[in-house]
Amino acid sequence: MIKKITKSFEYIVALVLGHLTVLKHIFKKPVTLEYPEKKAVLNENFRGEHALVTDSGGNLLCTACGTCQRVCPSFGTIEIEKDKNESGKFYPKNYSIDLNKCIFCGNCVNYCPFGAIVMTKEYELSNQKKSSLILDINTLKSNYSDSIIEKKEK
Amino acid sequence: MNYLYYLYIQFLAKYHLPEAIGMITFPLLPFIIVAVVLIVMVIFLVLLERKVLAIFTQRKGPNRVGPWGLFQTIADAIKLLIKENITPVGAEKFMFTLAPLLAFIPVMAIWGLIPFSAEFDFISYSVGALLFMTIASIPILAILLAGYASNNKYSLLGSMRSVAQAISYELPFVFVLVAVVVLASSMNLGQIVLAQTSVYPFCGWFIFPSFLGFLIVFICALAELNRCPFDLPEAESELVSGYNTEYSGMRFAFFFLAEYAMMFIMCAFIATLFLGGYLSPFGFYLSTKIFGNGHLGQILVYFEQVFWIFLKTFFLIFCMMWVRATLPRLKSNQLMGFAWKVLLPASLLNLLFVCLYKYFLFAK
Amino acid sequence: MPNSNQLMKINIGPQHPSTHGVLRLVLELDGEFIRSCEPIIGYLHRGMEKMAENRTYLQYLPTVDRVDYLSGFFYASAFCDAVEYLAQIEVNKSVKYIRVLTMEMNRLASHLLWLGTFMLDLGATTPLFYCFRDREVILSLFESLTGQRLMYNYYTFGGVKHAIPSDWLDKTAEFVNSMPSKIQDYENIITKNPIFVSRTKGIGVITKKSALQYSITGPNLRASGVNLDYRKQKPYLIYNELEFDSITAENGDSFDRYKVRVEEMRVCLKIISQCVDWLKSNQGEVVSAIKQPLLKVPAGEYISNVEAPRGLCSCYLKSDGTNMPYRVKWRTGSYYAVQILPKLLEDNLYPDLMAIFGSLDVILPEVDR
Repeated sequence: MIKKITKSFEYIVALVLGHLTVLKHIFKKPVTLEYPEKKAVLNENFRGEHALVTDSGGNLLCTACGTCQRVCPSFGTIEIEKDKNESGKFYPKNYSIDLNKCIFCGNCVNYCPFGAIVMTKEYELSNQKKSSLILDINTLKSNYSDSIIEKKEK
Repeated sequence: MNYLYYLYIQFLAKYHLPEAIGMITFPLLPFIIVAVVLIVMVIFLVLLERKVLAIFTQRKGPNRVGPWGLFQTIADAIKLLIKENITPVGAEKFMFTLAPLLAFIPVMAIWGLIPFSAEFDFISYSVGALLFMTIASIPILAILLAGYASNNKYSLLGSMRSVAQAISYELPFVFVLVAVVVLASSMNLGQIVLAQTSVYPFCGWFIFPSFLGFLIVFICALAELNRCPFDLPEAESELVSGYNTEYSGMRFAFFFLAEYAMMFIMCAFIATLFLGGYLSPFGFYLSTKIFGNGHLGQILVYFEQVFWIFLKTFFLIFCMMWVRATLPRLKSNQLMGFAWKVLLPASLLNLLFVCLYKYFLFAK
Repeated sequence: MPNSNQLMKINIGPQHPSTHGVLRLVLELDGEFIRSCEPIIGYLHRGMEKMAENRTYLQYLPTVDRVDYLSGFFYASAFCDAVEYLAQIEVNKSVKYIRVLTMEMNRLASHLLWLGTFMLDLGATTPLFYCFRDREVILSLFESLTGQRLMYNYYTFGGVKHAIPSDWLDKTAEFVNSMPSKIQDYENIITKNPIFVSRTKGIGVITKKSALQYSITGPNLRASGVNLDYRKQKPYLIYNELEFDSITAENGDSFDRYKVRVEEMRVCLKIISQCVDWLKSNQGEVVSAIKQPLLKVPAGEYISNVEAPRGLCSCYLKSDGTNMPYRVKWRTGSYYAVQILPKLLEDNLYPDLMAIFGSLDVILPEVDR
């Protein structure tokens, strides 16, 4: 009998303590981030949309070696068409990344011997047509120049 | 009521309107006021619940639709209105349609019983408390009808379980009500409030002699309303279905709104019984202090009393949402065991204590 | 009304309102009692093991995180361990410390999510939001370290992919200091709550014998009284240099499984702070030097074990000397927990289903792979 009374007393104390613990959260600031008015601060390593790096002369660093194709986990994501320019250097005539198949693992960035492809911080990629998610070489170049402009603004 | 009637007749006489119009329209005013306030209150409460639950979890509630999310309930109601009203094959059409109405209408009837101020005591019966409990049991019948008329054996099981829960939790409620009636020596709700006046600010409130009764009534009210932690009939992940599975569109909205309207009126009832109803906790009324004892001061006192009862009701509603945020659900056998083995003896104990208190206090 | 001789067959379909993933349970109910249960799995089968046969090691590595997306680091560690053993790649101590640090933080995040969803199944809605709030901090730490919140792709053969940012260790230490009071908050709300206790004590008891017969591992096994923790019994990486306890309990019911996991969260914090202290004082090279995309692994087979949050995770790797694995097999902990579920549910009430299933911490991607 005594045990029952002490046990029920313990339960009542636990209930009151639980309620007070929940109550004290009223006085804390909300942790909501009001997207899309406020956006999260991303970090340098973030793996967003891809971009092909151009040097100061406007030429691509990419030599179409095909390493990125060989380390990409999903087949058929990166399509490269190789060509040789006048000075004998290889360059990609066509380079496309199919975002429908990409898993954003970052292998292409990590294993590129020339550092010719980077991933920007762009993550709002939804679109209404599947075809607009296939990035061709011009889009990739302009992604890079956009990201440079953003960096300069910051 | 008489003072306001007198003012109303004088107002009509100023515009040379006959007194007969006043006699006909004056009794209609309370109904109109109650209907309007009820609907506004329910709309506000649905939003308030979501906002309060969000504050407990360090979030913001709905704040996109309208400033501070004020039009959220209207958006939800519009969404429910434009949905199709499906009646399942083989369901009893008449009872199927009747059940949601039967859940909502008694709540509107009860509003008149609660004294919102000394003058706004619309329906003042000598057995007001008993009548309240009687009318408040009609929505339970509506649940049973809803489950039976759905032609779905899981709905029937769910509704029977819900009815069993509601009936078991009414008994301790009634016993504590008897204790309050003993303290106040009257069943009239207006008299119960007046019996809580005292010399010192709030020592006369009935929460002090029967604190255990207050807790029991709070828990029983949670169970009557099918709210957490007693919301087993409504839970999705627990039961296969509940009594309102087959309802869609506006009929579902009626059940939903009836729960919130009932929540408000239950809290107002508990405030009347235990927290002193419309009495001010300071002992005096701020209106008389500021505006003096004249005409204006007298009328403002009535509105101030309405303010006090609303404040106490909203405090109790906050406590109900606080309990909802904290506790997990009770299982079905635990529900019934708790009502019969714990609450009923506790309510009888409370009755004994209150009788002894009244005897020793007033035997001198 | 159902006849008590007839059993009602109901289907808890692949889609449920509770958050356990796409598991289908066909129950036979007798009134409120469950008489039999048949789990049907396979709705999330993605062919993770078959995928390995057509891809090189570097191509397969990012997909390994997705075997169990809530504890990606553990599976990556198991796979990297197997390849490093077969290809005889040396891994230096800093890499081992950073791997243990990230794995323990991942364990903490996984247990936090389990706690939130378990409470949601039982009806309490606020612990879910508190757990997610804390988990947000961990996920943003991971984002600043690896670049993604949930699919890390951070480990590689021989090390990790990029260096630790300069202020990351300080932020982690700050996080570790703020967590104990939050875990105490959870205990205040939940552990002694009479409703929770009566819903989970004595429910879903796994005896020692049946746990060992069904090959249950992880916190489910330790809650039944068997002290089997792979971090202690067969230490891998640098667990033999760290000081921590492995938590056991006696009865094997749902309450004990809850208790073991909450204590494990505290143990994680202890390990994380030890690793952070070591990493602050020893600066080593962590970035891997292995960059060839078509890495060839000598022929052989190896099984690597890690103690994942849901049990033992083993990766069996067989290579035949080329640059693609010959066979990869994953043994995961949740598969056996689903296997023991029918036995636990017999002759229990229907509302106990959630109390039992939630406490087993089953994640369907692990079961179906």
